Amino acid sequence: MIRVPSRRDVLKAGSALALGATLGARSALAREMSAREKELYELAKKEGEINWYTAHSDDVTAQALGRDFEASYPGIKANVVRTTAQVAFQRVSQEIKAGAMQVDVLSSTDLGHYAYLKEKSLLEHYVPDNSAHVLDIYKNYDPDGFYHVTSAGMIAIGINTSKLSEADAPKNWPDLLDPKWKDKIALGHPGFSGYVGTWVVMLRKLYGWDFFEKLAKNNPQIGRSINDTVTMLNSGERIIAGCGPVGTAMNSAKKGNPLAMIYPTDGTVLIIAPSAIMKGVKHPNCAKLFMEYLLSAEASQVWVDHYNESMRAEINPPPGVKAAKDVKIIRPSVAEIDKGIPEVIKAWRDTFGV
Amino acid sequence: MTTALDDIAAPAPGTFSRRLRFADPSMILWLALIAVLIFLIASPMVRLVISSFQEPETQRLTLHNYIDAYGSARHLQALWNTLELGGGVALLAGIFGVPLAWAISRTDMPAKGFVRLMVFGAFIIPPYLGAIGWILLAGPNAGWLNKLWMAVTGAPHGVFNIYSMTGLIVVIAVTSFPYVFVFTSSALDLVSSEMEDAANILGAGTLRTTFRVTLPLVLPAIVGGLIISFLEAIALFGAPALIALPARFHVVSTQLWQFFEYPVRVEEAAAYAMPLLLITLLMFWLQRTVLGRRGYTTVSGKGGERRVIKLGPWRFVMLGYALLVCTLSVFLPMLVLVQAAFARAWGRGFSLDNLTLNNFRYVLFEQTQAQNAIINTFVYSGAAAFGAITLSLAIAYVVTRKLVPWSNVLAFLCMAPFVIPGIILAIGFYAAYAPPPLALYGTATILILAYTTRFLPIAYTSSAAGMRSINPEMEEAVRILGGGRLTAIRRVLAPLLKRSIAGAWILVFIPATRELSSAIFLVGPNTRVISVMLFDLSEEGNFEVLATLGLILLAVTLVIAAIGFKAIGRDFMVRNS
Repeated sequence: MIRVPSRRDVLKAGSALALGATLGARSALAREMSAREKELYELAKKEGEINWYTAHSDDVTAQALGRDFEASYPGIKANVVRTTAQVAFQRVSQEIKAGAMQVDVLSSTDLGHYAYLKEKSLLEHYVPDNSAHVLDIYKNYDPDGFYHVTSAGMIAIGINTSKLSEADAPKNWPDLLDPKWKDKIALGHPGFSGYVGTWVVMLRKLYGWDFFEKLAKNNPQIGRSINDTVTMLNSGERIIAGCGPVGTAMNSAKKGNPLAMIYPTDGTVLIIAPSAIMKGVKHPNCAKLFMEYLLSAEASQVWVDHYNESMRAEINPPPGVKAAKDVKIIRPSVAEIDKGIPEVIKAWRDTFGV
Repeated sequence: MTTALDDIAAPAPGTFSRRLRFADPSMILWLALIAVLIFLIASPMVRLVISSFQEPETQRLTLHNYIDAYGSARHLQALWNTLELGGGVALLAGIFGVPLAWAISRTDMPAKGFVRLMVFGAFIIPPYLGAIGWILLAGPNAGWLNKLWMAVTGAPHGVFNIYSMTGLIVVIAVTSFPYVFVFTSSALDLVSSEMEDAANILGAGTLRTTFRVTLPLVLPAIVGGLIISFLEAIALFGAPALIALPARFHVVSTQLWQFFEYPVRVEEAAAYAMPLLLITLLMFWLQRTVLGRRGYTTVSGKGGERRVIKLGPWRFVMLGYALLVCTLSVFLPMLVLVQAAFARAWGRGFSLDNLTLNNFRYVLFEQTQAQNAIINTFVYSGAAAFGAITLSLAIAYVVTRKLVPWSNVLAFLCMAPFVIPGIILAIGFYAAYAPPPLALYGTATILILAYTTRFLPIAYTSSAAGMRSINPEMEEAVRILGGGRLTAIRRVLAPLLKRSIAGAWILVFIPATRELSSAIFLVGPNTRVISVMLFDLSEEGNFEVLATLGLILLAVTLVIAAIGFKAIGRDFMVRNS
């Protein structure tokens, strides 16, 4: 914000050094900014900051992306507010109702939010240059170009390996219903987490609501975020994460926690999550630049460093880490999610009482 | 101004213009204060009540919000749960607070100073932080206490389950019993020993005297403290959000939060908030009329002799009980919070290879929000404390010096936020001031205003007490010698009041730093405060980071409180509350 243009080169070098020190592996640094990026960056520097509401990952990964963005574009501050999808959307709704839009870029994990916001003309139309460079499966998610897939992650079954061996662990989703797992399972809440909501929609489609009636008999511990299940495993409070977020769990395992993921034989749930710029935001150019960033190779590098899926072909997960292409993937359609999440939230409250 | 007043005065020119002539600047001050209070208190609340009867889109009058809010068994159950929670907390807070107050005020129990300090410690620990501590202690499988139990007895399961109504009651009671303590001990400090002596002479023992004479004498104060604990418990949002959800039940505050899910139903929330408001009003009415009317004239000022009751060997039993309360409220939660803050994974326990400073590095340097949130918290709290005290001093001055007729209206309005639970105040503020024309949503102003309003009663109680203690003769002397009112205020009143102002500032500042329920609906990405950040981070569990941020909050609060202690050199909490 306070930087003057004449110092830009010095700053670029400085930031390159700082980055080089922290993220030694980043070779893309030397890359020249594209014309669009340069133009956006110049305008964005005048705005000075970006407010990003994200549910795409745990706080650690979200903050790492924010810091990486700040390092790539010195002079722009990233305010990263990580919450669950429904809480982020709750804040956005409050802002809309009050006529005071605070958020610039919204990264929800509930696809229904984008369908709703687009229909109400609350999204800004922007097609990032980088959206042409992502993997084909992530391209043109919204044919009209209002929102774009910026992250993807998997939900499998997580276990605490110090209390349960992989051999004894559930192998598929219906295994979770075995009475021997009573008081052993941790879940998130679809009324908060978009990941959990999508997972519930998928399993309802496969096994009917009856699955959850039976799951309730096993008295699972219900948190809010899907990431809470990992906390419950780490502490030993529960030993199975019924809906385990692969990225968060693998991050935590790297820190030395006794965790492993079981990829169910009937399919690992893949969550594809978009981002969009809200209409009438305070920092439109920062928002556009940030959308470009989310689809850049740099951002994908941060994603794979934190065990999430890469958006781009040139960035691959570290060796030995399973990506979506290595396992059997299942996922509901956009229409099923859009219609399904409000239904399952209601049914969940009736079945689980909260 | 004059024209406006003339217009109003037109129907009765005689009396009004006469009054106007006498009124000097005081009348204008009075009008200004009324305007501020209406803006801060009356307007948001009126807005809340009106919107509870409005259709969201058309603004037409309707009862539908009430039908929707109370038409669900779950919503009614949440109401009942709230009453159960409030009742349980009040009862337990009484069991914790009253014996401690009695022991410190009337007996020869050892280590009184230390126990008093720990009660103060319990007062400054935010309930949601206490809740996190207790989740680490009494999580059914992983909690320290349960692990200890299983290790000692070889049992396959723990005995404590924090995720239950009982768990929630304990967690809130250990942070709210200081209210009962403060109310009870300040009343006990005023009861002279004469009545007790009379009972002793007539053959009653210590126990009988205590239960039949001493405690009944301070019953109004005890009930006052219990009511405050009850009200605190039913209005809390943070601790129930952490504990009630995994325990599978809702209370009113967590249910109110749900109305803010998409689609935002402020109107239904307003309708659903009404019972909480009515219960609170009812409680205060009860306290005032039922208890206020009974005569306890023995509790009348500082006269009379007070001797300590000699407990003999029982004094160590009493100390044991006091330490047990301190253990539940301060020692244990703080121990596990400190452990978690410095641990890689708190479940791995107290070992060297589990020690790390990474949580602090993460919070202070890697998180993009924490630095701002920490600064915001203390700036907003400080500003709100200044605002509340300035306003309440002006009002206390007008009221105690009876500068204008109907000055009691001001006092009443000032105390009104006491009966408004924080979450409801926030909804009122949101409904009234978030949208245009004021469009304050996401600004620092709306948070500071909400905090100022929320803690105005505390500031006013302190200011009024300070003001009453100063005899007007001193100011009159200044005025007789030709000084104006402002000179009198500046040269006489202000220096005399300095200490009570500092005390009141801290009393507002501390609760403001930890305020969650009135902040939760009003923060924007640039105005986040620690409490809201803790709430957002708590969605993921992540107790190490939560504990770290909580400790930073406590540490800064403690430093500021310590400076306050030093500045005013006495136990301001016990004297003023």
